[in-house]
Amino acid sequence: MSETVIETIGLRKEFRTRRGRHIVAVHDLDLAVPAGGVHGFLGPNGSGKTTTIRMLLGLARASKGQMRLFGRPVPEHLPEVIGRIGAVVEQPKFVPTFTGRKNLTLLARTGGVPSTRVDAALAQVGLTGLDKERFRGYSLGMKQRLAIAATLLKNPDLLILDEPTNGLDPAGIRDIRDMIRGLGESGVTVLLSSHILAEVQQVCDSVSIIGNGRLLAAGKVDELVSGHGGGTTRVGISDPGAAADHLVRAGYSVTRDNGHLLVDGPGRADQITRILAAKELYVHELTPVRADLESIFLELTKGEALQASTPSDAGTTTGGAA
Amino acid sequence: MRLLLVELTRFRSRRAIVLVLVAAALLTTLVTATTLWDTRPVSAADRAAAEATAAREAADPMFQNDFRQCQESPQDFLGPAATAEDCEQILPQAEWYLDRGALDLAAQNDSAATAVTVTLVALLLVVGTTFAGADWATGSLSNQLLFEPRRGRIWLAKAGAVLVAATVAAVVLLGGFWLAMFLAADARGITTPGEAITDIAWTSARAVALVAGAAVGAYALTMLLRHTVGTLATLFAYVVGGEILLLSLPFDGVGRWSLSNNVFAWLYDGYEYYDPTVSCPAGEEFCEQVARVTLEQGTWFLGALVLLVVVLSLPSFRRRDVP
Repeated sequence: MSETVIETIGLRKEFRTRRGRHIVAVHDLDLAVPAGGVHGFLGPNGSGKTTTIRMLLGLARASKGQMRLFGRPVPEHLPEVIGRIGAVVEQPKFVPTFTGRKNLTLLARTGGVPSTRVDAALAQVGLTGLDKERFRGYSLGMKQRLAIAATLLKNPDLLILDEPTNGLDPAGIRDIRDMIRGLGESGVTVLLSSHILAEVQQVCDSVSIIGNGRLLAAGKVDELVSGHGGGTTRVGISDPGAAADHLVRAGYSVTRDNGHLLVDGPGRADQITRILAAKELYVHELTPVRADLESIFLELTKGEALQASTPSDAGTTTGGAA
Repeated sequence: MRLLLVELTRFRSRRAIVLVLVAAALLTTLVTATTLWDTRPVSAADRAAAEATAAREAADPMFQNDFRQCQESPQDFLGPAATAEDCEQILPQAEWYLDRGALDLAAQNDSAATAVTVTLVALLLVVGTTFAGADWATGSLSNQLLFEPRRGRIWLAKAGAVLVAATVAAVVLLGGFWLAMFLAADARGITTPGEAITDIAWTSARAVALVAGAAVGAYALTMLLRHTVGTLATLFAYVVGGEILLLSLPFDGVGRWSLSNNVFAWLYDGYEYYDPTVSCPAGEEFCEQVARVTLEQGTWFLGALVLLVVVLSLPSFRRRDVP
């Protein structure tokens, strides 16, 4: 198995809307997902996550760039590797008048997967006994579970999940999260696209953050978190105005935060106390601020909306005759 | 083969398709039953009823008045050679009320069988359209492509399923219609010339091909347009609006390009139609203004139509993004 399961180099997707607007959904994206573990794929709506996934899976054509899955160039060699990939793209898409079982059986037969896998996949997502009901009668959570069951039919080495916990209740979210973590630990590579940053931080080993179709950051979650905000110190002091002046003169970047100071800059916390004590200003609180994934995400994406605003994940407008 | 079997399973599992096929069976049964009823042999009761009706009508004062005048001067009513005895024939006769003909299979090939064929073509167009349209509407097509990314294979498997299913439906329903006709003719002691039977066999074979071609064409068009209603609207616009537009064009011989003329030419081994632009031979003021589309021309026309849609649809499906 290749060390890198998913790789894109200079991947670009452009298209024109019906009104003639030129959209660049993905800008020369370089993405690398290592084998094994859970990799988060983060970005605000319209950042190009789903478009990237759809290009990787052969549902959309790339305008430019290269893509590899398991080291094989796709889409040319996609048929050779598709048997190792399970994917849910956007919302679950099944025939509403077929039962859950029939939908899975037809997909299994389409992919040449033994029908005996259907029972195992249904059991894995807790749909045993509910598989005889029509898909349109399923709750949103059941539909989501069925979509995940479909991805498990092939016993995949790579699982691509686009918002897999949408519509699930808290218990369902926990079940799916446990399942994803379990799959990651068992050697399956999971690419998890999600808006729920706390969930990603809990589940993912590594993460790629994109915005406006561009890669903004990538790496292990712990490294990203420690690399952002690790130098910020929260300072509690009786005269924050004077303290801020002295710290700025000493080369620190200081912001006010509800009577406290957030101090960024070189050096350690003991240097801050020494500088302030020399001016007879004494701190009563000195706390290193730990960043979380959400703050990193918001910083990198400059606060772009996390909430769904459009159903498509369509990137940025760069011109055209609107 | 595996994909074809999957698509055939998907085809027969679709409730809308099953309902349309049931409707096709019911309409075929209705045409069959109506044909058999309208050609049933005259019974003694039918004859007695007809004689009673004729006698009642003959007693009408208007008929009696004509009858009296005829007897007084039969030549004025029935020509120079007529006699008073001949005036009986101007009174209503029992035969007038027994006007249904015997079952004539050659005639049914041009009437009832055509009705069955046109019905099947219309309904299998809907079947081909909804089969593809549902995959687009539900988004399940993208799910299928995650299991078999070779789009050409998916397209062909689905087309194959439509072709097989439409052919089987047409063979079963048209076959059932003709089986009922032949059994009824046999039971009624009606013999059909071998030439007529050969003609029926060829027409039926072409009808089956027409139904299958229409279903596959509709499927291909839906895969191109990606919308059931859009496809049906396009088909309706072409079949109805296109015909009207074509016939209103200020050119001679436009009937050659009429869809219906070509369909009938295919079915009937050539088709003659009224064409007001046909010029009479020199020196003749009046003539039969009829033009003809041959079987060969009909074959090329319909084949080209289906081929055009397929040639547009398959590469388009292979290239375009799937939502």
